[in-house]
Amino acid sequence: MNPPSNRMIELVHVQRDFRRADGQRVQAVVDVSFVIPEGQFVCLVGPSGCGKSTLLQMLAGLLPPSSGGIVVDGKEVSGPGPERGVVFQKDSVFPWMRVIDNVEYGLKCRRVPPAERREIARSYLRQVGLSHVERAWPRELSGGMLKRVAIATVFANGGRVLMLDEPFSALDYVTRRQLQDVLLNLWSADKSGVRKTVLFVTHDVDEALALADRILVFRSGCQVDDIPVEKARPRSADSLLEPDMIAIKRKLLHHIGLDRPALPDAEAAA
Amino acid sequence: MKTAGHTTRDRWISLGVLAAIALFWQALSILFPVEAAPGEPMIAGWQVMFSKTLLSMADYWQGGLGVPSVSEGAPRTYLAAILSLLSHSFDTIVRLVCGLALGGVAGLALGLAVSWSAWSRRLVDLPVQFLRTLPLLAMVPLFQLWFGTYFIGKVLFVAYGIGVIVFAGTVNAVRNVPQIYIDNARSLGASKATMYRTVILPAILPEMRSTLLLSLGTGWGAVLGAEYLGAQSGLGYIIVYAGQFAYLDRMSLVAIIFIIATSISYRAAGALTARMLEWAPESQRA
Amino acid sequence: MAEAAKSSATNWDAADRRPPSAAAVRSNEKATPRANGRLTLSLRSGIRAVDPLRFLGLIIFVLAWYALSFLFQPIILPPPAAVLVRLLADFWDAPNLSYYGVAEPNLYANLIYTAENVAIAVLIGAAIGIVCGLVSARVSIFRAIVDPIMTTAGTVPILVAAPFLLIWFGVGRESAVGLVIFYVTVIMYLFAQKAASNLNPIYEEFARTLGAGQRQIVVDLLLPATVPEILGGLRIALAGAWGLEAVSELLGSQEGMGKVLEVLAGATDPEGIMATLLLLGFVAISVDAALAWIVARFAGWNAGLHSGGSRT
Repeated sequence: MNPPSNRMIELVHVQRDFRRADGQRVQAVVDVSFVIPEGQFVCLVGPSGCGKSTLLQMLAGLLPPSSGGIVVDGKEVSGPGPERGVVFQKDSVFPWMRVIDNVEYGLKCRRVPPAERREIARSYLRQVGLSHVERAWPRELSGGMLKRVAIATVFANGGRVLMLDEPFSALDYVTRRQLQDVLLNLWSADKSGVRKTVLFVTHDVDEALALADRILVFRSGCQVDDIPVEKARPRSADSLLEPDMIAIKRKLLHHIGLDRPALPDAEAAA
Repeated sequence: MKTAGHTTRDRWISLGVLAAIALFWQALSILFPVEAAPGEPMIAGWQVMFSKTLLSMADYWQGGLGVPSVSEGAPRTYLAAILSLLSHSFDTIVRLVCGLALGGVAGLALGLAVSWSAWSRRLVDLPVQFLRTLPLLAMVPLFQLWFGTYFIGKVLFVAYGIGVIVFAGTVNAVRNVPQIYIDNARSLGASKATMYRTVILPAILPEMRSTLLLSLGTGWGAVLGAEYLGAQSGLGYIIVYAGQFAYLDRMSLVAIIFIIATSISYRAAGALTARMLEWAPESQRA
Repeated sequence: MAEAAKSSATNWDAADRRPPSAAAVRSNEKATPRANGRLTLSLRSGIRAVDPLRFLGLIIFVLAWYALSFLFQPIILPPPAAVLVRLLADFWDAPNLSYYGVAEPNLYANLIYTAENVAIAVLIGAAIGIVCGLVSARVSIFRAIVDPIMTTAGTVPILVAAPFLLIWFGVGRESAVGLVIFYVTVIMYLFAQKAASNLNPIYEEFARTLGAGQRQIVVDLLLPATVPEILGGLRIALAGAWGLEAVSELLGSQEGMGKVLEVLAGATDPEGIMATLLLLGFVAISVDAALAWIVARFAGWNAGLHSGGSRT
């Protein structure tokens, strides 16, 4: 087996421009470079519109960079593919297929024999706690359950890299916390030896602190910080309140701009 | 907005309305015994409809099946009348079904083919929009000139009308497939062809159902128009032929049969296609 | 441009495939100054809006027609140039038409006749249909009575009534206009009702909490909010109205585009038929485009406001 790669994901001077409806050029991502070793759980954090989702789209191969290179597992990224699984923010589960068929989809595309893929799919459905809705239609499931299906699908498909674009942001607080646990369980239970390399985009600072080995902070299209988080997992509510975590949180809040008053009048008065 | 709901009370009211219309018709026929021509009432009461008018349908039976034709001197019989109605209905329906099948399949296939690449879609956009806006019913004379007034001419006319609608509908439906499903499929490793088959085709089913029901309405109209303007058989033919003699009662009878036929076809098409959409959320199953 | 982004092929070329969020736009706006002023900006985006590929498609279509006309005799498929010439020639004066008993021997007058009928019928039909549709969405008894009639009429081709109208009203304006009024009424009823039903109840609830009365809700909420969907239905009704008017004239009329078509068909004149159809189609398209512009101008605010409404 190959030794874990030090440079699983590599971005070199990546840039992405957009043209607005009135013709103006907008730089969504400005000169971003970083390297992620295999098996690391990285969160991309930043306020809305800072370019983190665009960055993820480029890494997934759904959007080409305007300039710069993206290399994943030694290969340049030129399109989407099963080696880089994606969990989207909106519901991506296919409504015209039952749950089990959804989870099998990637395997079916790669012509895995029916019995084998059914077993794999069932195993992952069990791990996300949805065995009882195997034959249900997606329209019968709640938002949280659909997310579990999406996660199970991506894990069932294999792949060494996993990307998630604010996957839980549309869900309520309790469901979000439950799904974070589901994700971490699946990630750490990986039997293939080395864990998946995970890129998790979020604007929720607490979520990043609960999940990440490393937090990359973005603002206005640029990377402004790279913070390692060396807390052992599982991270309980108490461990998140320890001084080193609070220090990181303070840093993050400062980057987002939440340590300053929101209304300009208040700032003048202060 | 507060909407009116479908309650049992409303259903009874609807039935009541239908009954009221029937009674209203009968009242009119009594109040206005006006005749368009001697012996031909403008508004025929139901008793007339089910006797004299029904019998007169025998006039349109060409003969055969052991029942002689009125035009050759045989008396009018209910059997001949029923046979004639069945045969003419059959002719109209066959024309519609053939045109629907031909136009629907061609429109769908071409629509999917054109949607494969964004280039081809943009290329055919303007000509198709132009053909769609050309008033269909005004094109009957052109089709008659090209293909004659026989079976093939009518079928091709109906097929054209439906083909244009289904083509445009297919292209639009493919365009409306949410990008997220396409991204998801590609990220899971599907090739473009596999994605087309397993994602695009199922995803467009709800919209294609609406397109189908729309084209059904257009198809009936096209068949009727084609029969009005040149036919030797069919329900439209009877209406127009009887119209030349101002036989309003016969026209009304055939019109009622026509209305029943279209309503049944609509419900049947709706019910059959609803089964294809068992997975769809309520909002898409109108 | 948003349409190109939705194409089924992953579109690598669309630089504006995913427009940036509002915040990104705002933050960059401070960096780059506004160019030249509003007039220049709209001109530039207008030029970009004309898609060269679509234009090419139209040219290819005409060329294909031209090529096909070589395969067939002119009596079957006249070449596009001949049809266009015929259209322009006959527009003001077509002496051959008077030979066949057409009241006004030119395309222009007949076009006006047809257009007038369509306009009258659409105005009357739309007025009745919209009012009935909106009322039926609010008053359930009214809906119970009127709905079965309208829905049945919606599935049945209105054409079935044409011969009746011809006998009842004779060969003249009334029967054609009557037919189209019937058609437009049914369509606008269905659209108005759907528009009012699809309106998210949240708006009315919110308005009531602000103290709005019944009349205010109808005038300030129901009417403006349903305008986009109703205008969409109007476009569809108008498109069908042209054909219905033409066929009604074909069945029995002394003037109008339908009469011209009938006469030319009898004379086996495909060039004339195609020219007439081209003119009719051109007018229908222009009116539709004008209506589309009105919709975009006055009803463009409604992107995504209806709860589960269909995308027309």
